[in-house]
Amino acid sequence: MVKMERRKIAEGAEAVIYESRFLDTPCIVKERIEKEYRNKLLDEKIRKERTLNEARIIALASSNNINAPFVFLISRYAITMYKIEGTNLNILMGDKIESELIRKVAVQLAKLHNINIAHGDFTPANIIVDKYRNPYIIDFGLAEITPSIEEKALDILLMKRSISRSEFNIFLEEYKKEAKKSKEILERLREIETRGRYQIRSLV
Amino acid sequence: MSIVLGIESSAHTFGVGIVEDGRIIANEKEMFPIESGIIPAKVADFHSSNAYNVIKRALSKTKLSFNEIDAIGYTKGPGLGPCLRIGQLAARTLALKYNKPLFPVNHSLAHIEVVKSLEKIEDALVLYVSGGNSQILALVDKPFKHYHVYGETFDIGIGNMLDAFARSAQLKPAWGSSVAKAAEKGSYIPMPYTVKGMDFTFTGLLTYAEKALESHRLEDVAYSLQETAFAMLVEATERALLLTKKNAVIICGGVAQSSRLSSMLSSMLAQHNASLYRAPNELNADNGAMIAVVAEKMFKSKIKYSIDECDINQRYRIDSVEIGW
Repeated sequence: MVKMERRKIAEGAEAVIYESRFLDTPCIVKERIEKEYRNKLLDEKIRKERTLNEARIIALASSNNINAPFVFLISRYAITMYKIEGTNLNILMGDKIESELIRKVAVQLAKLHNINIAHGDFTPANIIVDKYRNPYIIDFGLAEITPSIEEKALDILLMKRSISRSEFNIFLEEYKKEAKKSKEILERLREIETRGRYQIRSLV
Repeated sequence: MSIVLGIESSAHTFGVGIVEDGRIIANEKEMFPIESGIIPAKVADFHSSNAYNVIKRALSKTKLSFNEIDAIGYTKGPGLGPCLRIGQLAARTLALKYNKPLFPVNHSLAHIEVVKSLEKIEDALVLYVSGGNSQILALVDKPFKHYHVYGETFDIGIGNMLDAFARSAQLKPAWGSSVAKAAEKGSYIPMPYTVKGMDFTFTGLLTYAEKALESHRLEDVAYSLQETAFAMLVEATERALLLTKKNAVIICGGVAQSSRLSSMLSSMLAQHNASLYRAPNELNADNGAMIAVVAEKMFKSKIKYSIDECDINQRYRIDSVEIGW
């Protein structure tokens, strides 16, 4: 295989992100890097499973009309996908954001949940907003295909912790309309929050 | 100049420490001899029969009389109610008898502050790992100055998990170090690994490891359990490190005594040019000196508590404490 030209653009906790071109299309390569602190077998297992799992879930999401990257290639520890041009939601949140955008984010999450995908790290940093103000969900590194109500409630909890109360109310309103099991999921969210030690976890 | 006495009694340790301007000049304790877990009322009995002696021992170490003490601190929580009650009662009695100001101290905060005070470090990410707690924290200013919990266990603390496993495997206390010892010659068996962002859960891993004891060698199970659990903590810490952009990490709490966990953390931190701070073992185990360290800061900041405000709270969350110094 021809080695693609690539430029490192970010380094996360578990992966390095490169920008590259695939058949003249801008793309992103996410490569999971070796962690020397952990046992080699555990390390390989985590990297391999997460890479495969992530690629599988992104493909499932985008084939269900959810705004997610499009996967071109999968190798042992790397995924090559279509580059989404835009700005991360956490950066946009420095200013006030329009409720329409929050609603669109809620719809994306509801659609994910409707096909039993729990994102696992659903924070504004993992949402890219394009020039048409459409949100795209990225980083499915901790996502799971699961019927679990709890995992979905945890997605909402993460978002709740990241946005203001009024933004969250708008988010919930739209989520309730779109998500099939919203009643059960929101009930579980309330239950999680009343589990003693998480009641008063502060926000930043 | 100030001299402050601290009393710790949140779990199986009754500890009394004395600090003089941040310097620890006494740190005495009695530990309930554990064979098979803690019955809070029994431990409380143990504490009440030892309280007087431990306080006296700490004072005689410093050759001070009680009148020379400027303030008293005690553990308000989190911890076991009956145990906390004994320390609180002792502290209240002394405060009233000698007319000294009394300070309710958050136990988790004390574990962190004692390292900060010893190492003279202010700005750091914290991995607090003990029996009942496992949290990743850092100071933030909003909405008030407090330790924000970036990530934590969603079920049990890492220490409790290791203890529960050790009991299933019929290892001897101290369980954490028994598991570490059993793990020395083990090899890896795949086990469930559960990290969600910066949060994690341990019960699934515990159940799996307990089951695995039926079909695998103890050393392999112990090794894999420890490697998996610690890798989860280090991964969550790494994520928080990148998010908070800190260049120092403090590890504290009882499980901070694990050398394997520290070496894994150091290896991760080296990749980010960040450094690791850890207190000596006797200060990572529960002790009175760390309570005195925080109480002294409260005393110097001129915060005052009426005797009625000096209660206990079994679920006293660290993120509810306003840092007023």
